[in-house]
This record gives sequence, structure tokens and C-alpha cells, in this order.
Amino acid sequence: MMIDRSIRLENVSKTFYTRSKEVKALENVSLSCEPGSLTALIGPSGCGKSTILRVALGLEKPDTGLVLTGGTNPQIATASGATGVAFQDSALLPWRTVEGNIALPIDVLGKRRSEFGGYIRDLIRLVGLEGFEKSLPGELSGGMRQRVSIARALVTSPGILLLDEPFGALDQILRRQMNIELQRIWSESRATTLLVTHGIDEAVFLADQVAVMHNRPGRIVTIIDIPFRRPRSKELFSQTAFHKLGDAIATTLHGE
Amino acid sequence: MASEYQQNWLGRFTWLRNLLLLIALWEVVGRPKLVASGALPPPSAILVSLYLDRADYPPHIWATLQAAVLGFIIGNSAAILAGVLFVISPLALRLARGINIAIFSLPPIAIVPVLVLTLSGMTARVVLAALGCYFATMTATVLGLSQADQRSMDVVRAYGGNSWTIMRLVRLRSALPSILGGLRIAAPNAVLGAILAEFGGGGRWGLGTYLLGSLGRADPPRLWGIGLVATAIAGLAYAIFAMAGYHVTGASTAVTIPASVASTSSDEHTRTPLIRASLVMASVILPLLVWWLLLKAIDVPSLIAKTPLGVIDYLFLANSAPTAQLKLLQAFSQTLPITILGLFAGLAVAFLLAILSETFPAIARTMLPIALVTQTMPLVALTPLLVLLLGRGTAVTLWITISVTFFPSFATIAQGLILVPKAALELPRAYGATKVKELQLVAVPASLPYLFAALRLAVPRALLGVMIAEWLATGTGLGNLLNQSRGYLDYGMIWTVAAASVLLSILLYQLVVLAERKLFGRLGMKTSE
Repeated sequence: MMIDRSIRLENVSKTFYTRSKEVKALENVSLSCEPGSLTALIGPSGCGKSTILRVALGLEKPDTGLVLTGGTNPQIATASGATGVAFQDSALLPWRTVEGNIALPIDVLGKRRSEFGGYIRDLIRLVGLEGFEKSLPGELSGGMRQRVSIARALVTSPGILLLDEPFGALDQILRRQMNIELQRIWSESRATTLLVTHGIDEAVFLADQVAVMHNRPGRIVTIIDIPFRRPRSKELFSQTAFHKLGDAIATTLHGE
Repeated sequence: MASEYQQNWLGRFTWLRNLLLLIALWEVVGRPKLVASGALPPPSAILVSLYLDRADYPPHIWATLQAAVLGFIIGNSAAILAGVLFVISPLALRLARGINIAIFSLPPIAIVPVLVLTLSGMTARVVLAALGCYFATMTATVLGLSQADQRSMDVVRAYGGNSWTIMRLVRLRSALPSILGGLRIAAPNAVLGAILAEFGGGGRWGLGTYLLGSLGRADPPRLWGIGLVATAIAGLAYAIFAMAGYHVTGASTAVTIPASVASTSSDEHTRTPLIRASLVMASVILPLLVWWLLLKAIDVPSLIAKTPLGVIDYLFLANSAPTAQLKLLQAFSQTLPITILGLFAGLAVAFLLAILSETFPAIARTMLPIALVTQTMPLVALTPLLVLLLGRGTAVTLWITISVTFFPSFATIAQGLILVPKAALELPRAYGATKVKELQLVAVPASLPYLFAALRLAVPRALLGVMIAEWLATGTGLGNLLNQSRGYLDYGMIWTVAAASVLLSILLYQLVVLAERKLFGRLGMKTSE
């Protein structure tokens, strides 16, 4: 079972073999997410951000290196319900209602849905989808689907939350709203969170530390601490210190 | 507004109008017995004959239904269970490959004599009906299960779900439209299998038996009547599953297209050539073993029931071997070219019609009932009529071959076109693409796996069509050889032709699979096989 709520990667490397070539997705990646912290992973497309997340979830096995999720083997941690996950594409089951989709992890973990009934209703309220409990994903907008997938990630009250570009498909306005929402939701649960993103301001606004990645081979080049006090309000988006940090990250991102 | 409403209302019934027009035309053409001296009786004469024979039908229909339904249940249960097993364990799929292909490739007509020789009447019918269902449903199940949305499966895996959890929560439900598509094809197959076995075997009741008894009476209206009743049964079975599929597809079409390139499974890399070779060997030996074991189990004299060794003995070792080889080779050289020609002609027609019906749904609504009729009318019974209409040449063989390959291909390809995600279709539309361009850019490539599945489905059916035509009309090739051997009680040759036609079918099937692998490997797509 879970020992703590940290995520730890040490010297992790992973190579993928496609039809024609081999891709070094990760090279010597080390990352440590302390319990209750929020870490943002930022980098260009295809730099291995999602692979780090998948490795931490036990969906991919690293070729070399050590991965501990919740202080233990990722597969043991996920099977115990200690982790929650939301992917970029909401990845909802098209034939399940909003409620049914949120309940999916409960079904996978073999727990009884009836024990979670009240909590699922709370989550639907939390993500602002009252009245859509019985809707199918095809009947929802992209933003609504994404909120369903966030609610699904929270249904097990996980100590560790892995978010793979959860707002990647949303517009800027909705995204800011969702960032503030996510902070609120997160500060209630204080789950150790790994957030994969390609939005600099999203990373700075939400994270305690931002890990900047580079491409080919995928690697972490620097980890920047974000000192702003919580709770952070939307005024932060317009402060000079906020922009300075953002510029610093942008420079590291682009400077090879 | 009113006229628009009226137009819509009328539009929905165009197919009915077209169908009625067609029937009217048939009536006019058939009435004066102009076509082939009465081989095409007018619908009114068929109705009169149906009414006159009304007392005969119930027991025959009941007998056919019993065999078909029982075979349908047994065959499809086995098929779905096998499909689930194959997706969970690729090793099982590898091992069962030979058995699958052999079951699939058995041209029913070739094994009717064999089944009737070894099994009792009702059992032979149920077995043939079940065999007709198995492969269509099994491939549809595997296809549907293995093309489930990778992202949804990742979510389940991310919560520690194993392959059984994924099967239960994602794969089975998302495969439902595909499985129903398979059952839709299987339903008329079961009826056809039952009738074919009745035709070739003894027994008192059954539509096939009724047909056999009516063949000699030179009474085309009755033959058509029986054919239409059989068609109605098969059509009804088809419609039930088509409707179920329609209700299910709405909910489970993915909202976006999954972009993940299917990677080759990792154990494929780690297997040594030696292990791979022995797997292939095992999959080849397994069907022969089953053949041998089944014969041992039912205990039929070895004079009648030939084991694999018996066939080898007959074809290579016995005194009569050279004559047998010569006969077989000659039959092969007649059957093969026409089979390939008919195969591609049938597939081309199916593909064109599937695309046409995607563009103009009214065409599909008019053509489908007609296509269904050509499919479900027992060709064995139709062939004498077709001979009168088309003569005893290549035309009749081609016609029969196209009509047996066309329908399952059409259903499979149309299924592929329906499942193309909306978003993917809207992209070219957004760039002002024409319907043709849209099909060319998205629908056709996206349905390519289904096109190849259709081709694989069509291979043995093409052989079946050719052999039926040869048996009953042209008097050439493998079909004729089978029929002759039945007459001469040449059991060795009956088993040899059955085995040889299965082998030919397997060979053609393997060629398709090879082409599919080459193409899909280049395109980075996953084969359903």
C-alpha cells in the first residue's frame, strides 16, 4: 500500500520503437514531488511530459531508473485507488452518462457505487455540472467533458493526482476559470499533484515548482520554484512578479 | 414550410415507391412468360402459389427454423467467447488460427456430403448453420474488441484495471455495434446453412427438403414461393440485428478520432524464430487433429469417413492415385480463375454500393431489400432458374459468385463507413471538400480495416458460389467433381475435394492477409486479424 503521498523518479530513461526509428522519450529524468505539493511539467510537444506521467501511473515501464508513486510501485499504488488521473482528451466512455463516467474508477477498483452516491453528487456540483447527471458525453461541450474527467479523477479522493494537459483543449477564458477552480478543488484535497501542461501562466499560477523540459531526448533542464502564497487569486495573473517568472520559464523553454 | 414537410415525408417513402415500381415492372415482365419461358413468374402467380400451398409450409418452416436458431445460438456463442479469448490472449489467437481459417473456409456445399455421411439429419443441419455463423461473428468480435478507444482503456489501466476489467468495462460495450454487425451477417447464414444441409441430406421436413421435392415439378412459382419464404425468414433475422445495431451505434461512436499509432505488441519482438515457427506448425496441425478426433469420436466406418491420413492415402499412395490427381488438377484449373474474378467483381460492387449509400441513403434503402433477396434466396434452388435465365456458361457462375460475396462485404464496409467519427468527417467538409473528396480523404482510409475484413469474408464465399454454380449449372470444376463423386460413391474423392477446396480457400485467404499486413504496416494501422 501507499507509504506516503510523494512521487519520485530517479534517473528514469525510456525509449520507444516506432515503425521506422527509435525515439528517446526520456533520458535520465529525476523529479521529486513532495506530499501536498503541486508540480507542473512544461515543455514543447513530444518532449516526454506525458510519458513521465504515464510512467508514474505504471502505464509504461521505464527502461532504467526508479519510479516510486506513493512510496511504492506505481502499479500497486494505482490499483489501491491512491491515484487519480485526467487525460488531455477527456477519454470518457461515450455510452456512460456523466454520473456513470465519474463512477468508472469505482467500478474498476471493484468498490460499491452506492457508497459513493452522495460524493459523486458533490463532485458534480463542485465542477458545476448540476442538471447534467444523466447526459451522455456526446451531448456535452468540450469544457464540460473536461470537467467530468476532473471529477472522475477526484472520485476516489486520491492522495496523488496526475493531470495530463487537462485544459489543453479549452479556450483561454475558460482555462483561467478552470485554473482558479482547480486551485480551489486542489486546496480542499491537498493531493500531491503532477500537472502536465503547455501553458506557462497555467503552470506559474498553479504550481509550487515548475519542471521545464526539452526535446530530443526528452529531459528536465531546470526546476523553478514558485514562491507565491496561497490561495492565489486571479489578480495574480496581472502582477509583475508573475510575469517575470513566466518570462524566465519562457527563456529556459526556448533557449537550447 | 408545408411543402418542405411534405417533401421530407415523401422522401422517406421513396424507397417504398421504388420497390413497388420494381415489383410492378416484374409483374409486367413476368406475366406473358416472356422471360426464359416462364422461369420468371409474375409476383401475382407466386402469391397464388403461396396461397395454394399454405398448408404445406408450417412444418417445413418450423423444421428449418429449429435448425437455424439452434445453430445460430451455438455458433455465435462459441464465436463471441472465442473472440473474447483471442483478444485477451494473442497466443490463443495464434494457435487457433488454423482452426479459425479452416472453419471459415469450409465451403458449405463441399462439406454437406461429408456431414450427411457422418452425422444424423438434424445434427448435420445444426452444425452447418452454426459453422455459417462462427467466423463472421468471431471476426466482428475481435475487430470490435481490438479497436476500442485506447484512451478509455488507459483510464481503466490507470486505476490498476487488468485486461479482464478493460474487457468488461470498455471493450465489450464498445464492440457491441461490431458484434451486432457480425450477428447481422450470421443470421441469414444460419438459415442458409440449415437449408443447404436439408437440401443435401435426407429428412422429411425443412424448406430445403421441400425445395428438393419441388424441383422436379417444373413449377417455378412454387420454387419462387419457397425462396421468398426463406428470404423473409432470413431477412427478418437480419432486420432484428440491424435495428439493434442502429440503436447501439448512436451512443458509442467516439466523439474524436484516436490518434495513437498501434505499436506492435512487445512479445512479438521477444519471440525467437524457433518459437514462432512452432506456433505456426501447431496452428496448422490443430485443425487436422480436430478432424481426426471428431471422426474417432463419432465412430463412422473408415471406408466412408476419411481421416487426414485416409485422404493422403487416397490422393498419393493408392493405385488409383494418378487418376485422382489428374481429375483434381483439372477441376482446380477450371475453378480458380473464375473464383478470383468473381471475388473482385463482388467486392467492387459492394464497395461502390456502400459508398453510394453513404452519399445517397435513398439508394441504400432501395437496394438493400433487393440485395438481401439475392443474398438470402437459397442459391441452390435459384440456380436452376438462373440457368434458364442466363444459360450454362460463365455468366451464371459470375452472377452467383457476385451475389454470394456481395452482401457480407457490403454490410462490413457500410459498418466501417458508419463508424467514422464525426469530427474527422467535418474537417475536410470545413475546407469545402466535396462528398467525393471527403470519402477519399477520410471515410475510405478509415474504413480500410473493414474493407480488408470484407475481402477476407468474401474469399470462401466466392469459392462457395463458384462450386454451387459448377455443381448445379456448368458441370465443371471442383463443384462438379464433388457431385460426380457423390454419384459414384467415391468417398475418397468427396473428402479429397472437401479438403482441397478448404486448402484453396485458405491459400487465397492467406494472400489477402499478407497484402493487408504489408499495407497496414506501411500506414501504421492495426490489422483486425
